[in-house]
Amino acid sequence: MESTKVQGTHTASSVPRAEKVSVWAVAAKFWRKLRDKLFGCLMKREVTSLLSRSTRQIRQLGRPKAAGCFWMKSLRDQHQIRRPPPGASPCLSPDVQGKRDTVKEHVTEDMLKEVTDVYISETDSISLLDISSTVVSVDADDAEAILERNNQYAEVCRIRTGNDKYVDRSVQTLNGTAKNKQVQSDSPVLVDTATTVTTWDLYDILISPEKDEEVCSPELGRADYPEAVVNTSKGAERSVSVGSTDSTASAASSLKEVEAFGNSINAEPDLQLIMLSEKFQHCSLVMESSILGNTFQPKLAAYRQLPVIEDPDSVVKPGTEEDTESPPAVERLWAFSCELSRGRSISSMAWNKRNPDLLAVGYAAFSSSNHKPGLVCCWSLKNPTWPERFIHCDSAVTSLDFSSSNPSQLAVGMQDGTITIYSVKSPDNKSWFISSSECPNKHLDPVWQIRWTQQELSVTGEEKVESLFSVAADGRISKWFVCNNGLDCIDLMKLKKIHNIKKKAGGIKTESVVSALTPGLCFDFHPTDSSVYLVGTWEGLVHRCSCSNSQLFLETYRKHFCPVNCIAWSPLSPDVFLSCSSDWTIQLWKSDLQNPVFGFSSTQRAVCDIKWSPKWATVFGAVNEGQLEIWDLNSSILDPIIVQPAAAGVKMKSLLFATQTDCVLVGDSDGQVTVYQLKNLSVAESSQVDILEGIICSAGSGKL
Amino acid sequence: MAGTEHAEVEETLKRIEVHKGVIGTIVVNAEGIPIRTTLDFSTAVQYAGLLRTLTIMARSTVRDIDPQNDLTCLRIRSKKHEILVAPENDFLLIVIQNPCE
Repeated sequence: MESTKVQGTHTASSVPRAEKVSVWAVAAKFWRKLRDKLFGCLMKREVTSLLSRSTRQIRQLGRPKAAGCFWMKSLRDQHQIRRPPPGASPCLSPDVQGKRDTVKEHVTEDMLKEVTDVYISETDSISLLDISSTVVSVDADDAEAILERNNQYAEVCRIRTGNDKYVDRSVQTLNGTAKNKQVQSDSPVLVDTATTVTTWDLYDILISPEKDEEVCSPELGRADYPEAVVNTSKGAERSVSVGSTDSTASAASSLKEVEAFGNSINAEPDLQLIMLSEKFQHCSLVMESSILGNTFQPKLAAYRQLPVIEDPDSVVKPGTEEDTESPPAVERLWAFSCELSRGRSISSMAWNKRNPDLLAVGYAAFSSSNHKPGLVCCWSLKNPTWPERFIHCDSAVTSLDFSSSNPSQLAVGMQDGTITIYSVKSPDNKSWFISSSECPNKHLDPVWQIRWTQQELSVTGEEKVESLFSVAADGRISKWFVCNNGLDCIDLMKLKKIHNIKKKAGGIKTESVVSALTPGLCFDFHPTDSSVYLVGTWEGLVHRCSCSNSQLFLETYRKHFCPVNCIAWSPLSPDVFLSCSSDWTIQLWKSDLQNPVFGFSSTQRAVCDIKWSPKWATVFGAVNEGQLEIWDLNSSILDPIIVQPAAAGVKMKSLLFATQTDCVLVGDSDGQVTVYQLKNLSVAESSQVDILEGIICSAGSGKL
Repeated sequence: MAGTEHAEVEETLKRIEVHKGVIGTIVVNAEGIPIRTTLDFSTAVQYAGLLRTLTIMARSTVRDIDPQNDLTCLRIRSKKHEILVAPENDFLLIVIQNPCE
């Protein structure tokens, strides 16, 4: 206690000018005088030794030490104390030293006004007296002496009370004057935060820590709240959400004002960023299909053979009565068309093998010019107004087909003889493709048909490999494979012109020497035995060939006298196929009979395309330029049961049956693919194949 | 590449906007400010503000039931028209369509 006192007074006395310390100075002087009078030399010595300690401590100002007592020092004093030489001070009396210090400085106005910093710190604990109690064992040598002394001391204590030898005395201790100090500071900024933690918040934080860390680091700078360090982005979102859920109408309106004010500045970069993000693209596509779904809902529902939902709020029109006895008809559902495709003639259509909602349509050029580039569009059922993919080709597209082993590969045959395989996976129009344009063996004439077919590799028929086959106007049927970043082919068959065998003199039958090749227009592989295929030629002949024999045809079917436009094996009935030709007729053949079983003709127009229905063995569809015809052999073999005329000025060009539903797609010369639904086809319940067989047999027996 | 992507997105948006029955489209950024709209600005702001709250609520509902799930589309069918909202973290795409026409 005393040491503190002394130090404080000593320093205080030397700085009378600072206002804070003046009280100390007065007190110190008083204390010094009192002490000197009361305690004499002995005390002084002790005090000086204490003083010396204090001065030493004062000099070591730079290092505050932990102590049992406090001492106060002002910055100014630092300089002063160092001035007197270290050896001199302990010997002098505090009075003299204090006076010497005060003489040196002159108090100026400025000095009074200066603000001095006062540092308070702890010093080491100074023990003045430390006698620890000792314990002696009873068996020790001087135990008796100690015991005796203890007894004496106890005696003295007992006698003390009321004894004249002992006098009680009191000593006055001086309490240091306390001083109140007030400091003004800024009030701490308090912010209320609230957050709701939901189960998905916890899930997000637990499951995706890596993603959050990446997001956290650039955003840490923005974090205002220490508790949001873990997950700042989510924190911001959450706080926004909390704020918005608590917002009342007034808050919303104020928000509106803020938004209206600060809108234009921040909008542009945001818009660009958002527009370029992938998510936005995806979103907009999803949105588009939803909107279109709304618009086309009745049509799509009819396509999917779902009951059509009547819109309860729409104007209720008087519904037409469905007559169950009404004749079979087609109902037009919708048409795939867009500006890109308008005006182009459709040459071929194909469904995707894996996704039955994806349709690839090949567009030829305008009929007038042969050099306009062709177009392939991949349409999805979700969006009949804009294709999912469109690929511009170098020349008019004449045929296309999707692969079944790689469902995203689309093979396209073009008018200049090139075959290109595109990949429709990515939306990028510059997608991967390989072309046969560098192949030396490529077709030089339009590729009229192209087909992916699975073929068995080995004799045992275990492995099936898919290969690409094409037939072109140069009379070759080729099998293509990928090599060296391009396509290469081997010829399966060359379609030689077959003239009538002339009998020369001597009875030698000779064939014409000049065996030019005749253009092949269509081909089809047998549905079960994929090494056998049919080819239709320009001469009107249909050849049945085998992949293993590249020189001779297995069989030739003669009936047509005009180019055969399309051949189709029946998918359900074995060994039955149809052929259609520009001679206005459709012929139904059985593969072991030389003559056709049936011939159909309804109009005097070239039949462009013919397809079997995938569901009913007796139903097939045909397209000639003016109309769509659906034939059902069970009902009538003379007339088609459904005739749908084409729109005015438009020629129907190609036909495709939908695999899952009763719909028919017709492509026309205006670039539209119209979807028709077959209605009221009274198809017999019993097996269609048997019916067909029966019909054929009866016809065959009739003819024979 | 970015240019073509941008053009494609532009095209898609345009197609949506001119589609039959679509009354308006609004693209809202993360702060709730409509940055692209075919409606007048005050209506757009109103839609944006109100739908944002609803979207957050809907998303919270979906995710509370199953945290692995997430909201993909919110459709509100009313008497007069249908509001389709595609919510994302950074933006909202709102389309108002009248499908009866």
